[in-house]
Amino acid sequence: MNLTVLRKNLSDRWGGTLVYALGIMGYILMITAVYPTFKKTMAAKSQLLKNYPKGLLQFFGVRNIDAASFNNYMTIELVGFIWVIIMAAFVIAWTRAMISGEIRDGTMELLLAQPVERWKVLVSEGAGLLAGIAALTVVTAVGAIAFGSAFSAKVSYAGFAAYLPLGICLGLAIAGYSLLFSALLDDPRRAAMAATGLTLFFYVLHFVSQYSSVVAKIDWFGVFHWYNPLSVLDSGNVPVKSILILLAFAAVGFGAAIAVFQRKDIK
Amino acid sequence: MPETIISTSSLTKYYGKVLGVKDLDLEVASGEVFGFLGPNGAGKTTTIRLLMGMLKPTTGGGTILGLDTWSQSVGVKRQVGYLPGDARLYRSLKGEEHIRYVAALNGTGEKTGLELASRLDLDISRRVAGYSRGMGQKLAIVLALMKSPPVIIMDEPTNGLDPLTQRELYEILNERRNAGATILFSSHNLPEVERICDRVGIIRKGELVATERMENLRAMRLRNVEIIFEGAIPGDVDLESLPGVSEVERMGNRAQLKLRGDINPLLRLVARHDVADFTVSHASLEDVFIEFYELPEEKKEEEEPAVKPPPQPPRLFRRGKS
Repeated sequence: MNLTVLRKNLSDRWGGTLVYALGIMGYILMITAVYPTFKKTMAAKSQLLKNYPKGLLQFFGVRNIDAASFNNYMTIELVGFIWVIIMAAFVIAWTRAMISGEIRDGTMELLLAQPVERWKVLVSEGAGLLAGIAALTVVTAVGAIAFGSAFSAKVSYAGFAAYLPLGICLGLAIAGYSLLFSALLDDPRRAAMAATGLTLFFYVLHFVSQYSSVVAKIDWFGVFHWYNPLSVLDSGNVPVKSILILLAFAAVGFGAAIAVFQRKDIK
Repeated sequence: MPETIISTSSLTKYYGKVLGVKDLDLEVASGEVFGFLGPNGAGKTTTIRLLMGMLKPTTGGGTILGLDTWSQSVGVKRQVGYLPGDARLYRSLKGEEHIRYVAALNGTGEKTGLELASRLDLDISRRVAGYSRGMGQKLAIVLALMKSPPVIIMDEPTNGLDPLTQRELYEILNERRNAGATILFSSHNLPEVERICDRVGIIRKGELVATERMENLRAMRLRNVEIIFEGAIPGDVDLESLPGVSEVERMGNRAQLKLRGDINPLLRLVARHDVADFTVSHASLEDVFIEFYELPEEKKEEEEPAVKPPPQPPRLFRRGKS
């Protein structure tokens, strides 16, 4: 770890991270403000939800559609979909800048002209990314708890606390393969497109797996199979197995990215 | 014998199928200023990036201060101040923040960096986004030199600099050389090479075709000679028969010619007659360089040999290390 690189990385990115955090807070405020109204009209909503495809409800982990629970609501409105998009966009933008972006901008040559190992550059910037992912996840959990409480929702503190490591590990898993694309591809746009494409593929795979037992087996190799926010919010238990597997995704991606970057030509 | 500081052995780099440099053997001695000459695309930047561990050699390798440029590149970078060609900087940072950042990465050099910036008349309180190209180049030079490295490698250092700053840079490099630093820089600015280099290497289509000491280069270079005789040119003055003489033109009592090499046979021949004026002007290194680069190609096209001959070393230079 090189603390100078880490400090610069955090200093460069805090502004962008703040924008994402404010965006998440604003969105949570908006949806929690709507929640009391949603709850009152839940009977009609439940009827509507009953007409939804079973696979779609399973996709979000919704089992009890009659319960207008805050957890159900936040899963469908936030952590099951929108939050995933926001986190993926945040992570892909960060990782694309870490290698291919810096090489394209020419600043990687300036950095590597100094006596710092390539792997330390990635580890240090990766530590910055971990801090960014953790910050956004904490903002999400704190925002949901704070605004949910403010609008008289029955908030599961234990559930959101248990969700924190799961959210962070999902971000890290996406970061792993995104960073690998950033190391492999010279064009940062192509790196971002590849990472976005794979994320979408994993998401669609997980969706289709609700309908197909064959696809369900393949889904084991996708990150979203291991991301089950509603059961974590409901139970308040940390999903150790899912976390370990998501961390393995992250480790493989980061490890491969470091191996590629160690030998990469800086042109 | 001076210690070899920079050395490459059969250094070769291909980008896929495209040749970057091939079989490059180069040695730069301690305290030497080595100019690396060649037109755009010849392989200068590739060679420098290989030396700095930015590129992995396809085959061969190099050392700086005995350290392998690829596997020990971090050690190399502790000892080398490097100015990339077309250096890019962090647009959101100020000049002084760049200096502090690079000083923190190297563990030294902030004070020297600030002094150098002042010497180059660089405003380091502004963000780089607002810098002109020349200001950016000045800052990149400061960043390369601020740790007072024993080895300095610069890729076209005077690009974008005004003449005054160029002169200041030459002075700084001279001071560093006098303090014992070894300097390698690439350029296609021949007057600057002529001004500060001890030795030059010429790279052409990825191959180092010659290295030569500057004094030898100057001695070998072309002279333009004009002789004005008292009266008509004497009949026994057979200028074309003299070694190194070419392109003889006669106009009345005036003869013009190009002379390569020793001037004494010409002087002896001319001294036998009454001469009204005798003018010698040295062709610039640029003329030598252009001839060196273009002559083999032109000759090849003119002669169109049925069987392609093996490549010949140019007449003006010796192949390999001097």
